[in-house]
Amino acid sequence: MADVLQWLQGTRLAVAIAERWFPLVEALHVLTMACVAGTIFIVDTRLIGLTSRQLGFTYLSDRLLPWTWGAFACSVVTGTLMFMSNATGNYDNAAFRVKMLLLLLAGLNMLYFQKVTFRGVSRWDLGRPPVPARLAGGASICLWCGVIGFGRWIGFTNN
Amino acid sequence: MTLRAFSNWLSATPLSQLLQDTHGAIAGVQMIHIVCLATLFALALNLSLRLAGRGLVIEPLAGMAARFIPGIWICLGVLLLTGSLLIIAEPHRTISNPAFYAKMVLLVIAIALTLGLAALARRQPDKTTRLRVAVAAVYMLTWIGIIIAGRFIAYLI
Repeated sequence: MADVLQWLQGTRLAVAIAERWFPLVEALHVLTMACVAGTIFIVDTRLIGLTSRQLGFTYLSDRLLPWTWGAFACSVVTGTLMFMSNATGNYDNAAFRVKMLLLLLAGLNMLYFQKVTFRGVSRWDLGRPPVPARLAGGASICLWCGVIGFGRWIGFTNN
Repeated sequence: MTLRAFSNWLSATPLSQLLQDTHGAIAGVQMIHIVCLATLFALALNLSLRLAGRGLVIEPLAGMAARFIPGIWICLGVLLLTGSLLIIAEPHRTISNPAFYAKMVLLVIAIALTLGLAALARRQPDKTTRLRVAVAAVYMLTWIGIIIAGRFIAYLI
């Protein structure tokens, strides 16, 4: 693994990012992550039953989630470029590993919601979501706050 | 008092010392800052899309503005508070930084546009015009500029 990481951060692209483009790539990463987390927060607070109660859940999520996924794709690209620029340091960084774990958990939470809880959406689409849906929304907000927090912590702990 | 002298004074205040010496304090404040910025960005995105005749079109613009603009003000309040704490914690990094001033100018523009959007939503019926699409685009570009300038504070001295 160490050899792969060394090779990765020695590529011309990684060196160019580390030496010149890192501030711009990081700014774009923050921008796209803001769009991802912000749109997710709006959907999640509807799922909890706190906001947008006059709108159907499926209507709201159908119109917001394309923005979430588009921004997420961009943040994966910018995040990968940032990782490459200091692959060995990032790989060893505990905050980076926790961020990746939280991203995985957020993905699993969303997958479980889609495959299980969302099946009965027709019963609560315009009303108060059931407890499992509200729990999924609350967990999602906590996980994404954690992703942002540990993402910021990487900058304070990287070598 | 020069900017450097002001920075030195601010840096020596008990609050600044507390933020500098407390492990994780600056990172924690930055996390709250970014979470609020993300929420505000999504609220602004929805309002802009609605103004341009896209997004959550089932809801009238006036209704959406009445729900989302108070949220934008709350987020802005928290952003100003956490942003002030970050300046107090690291005044040398911000007070003489051109990216910081660019962010502040864009913030004033964003506040003015938010007030304009609120007035527009109250007075005008729902209709999409080229002017409204342009205002929506400028509004989002202003927030994008604020986020990018904010991150560049760390790199421009």
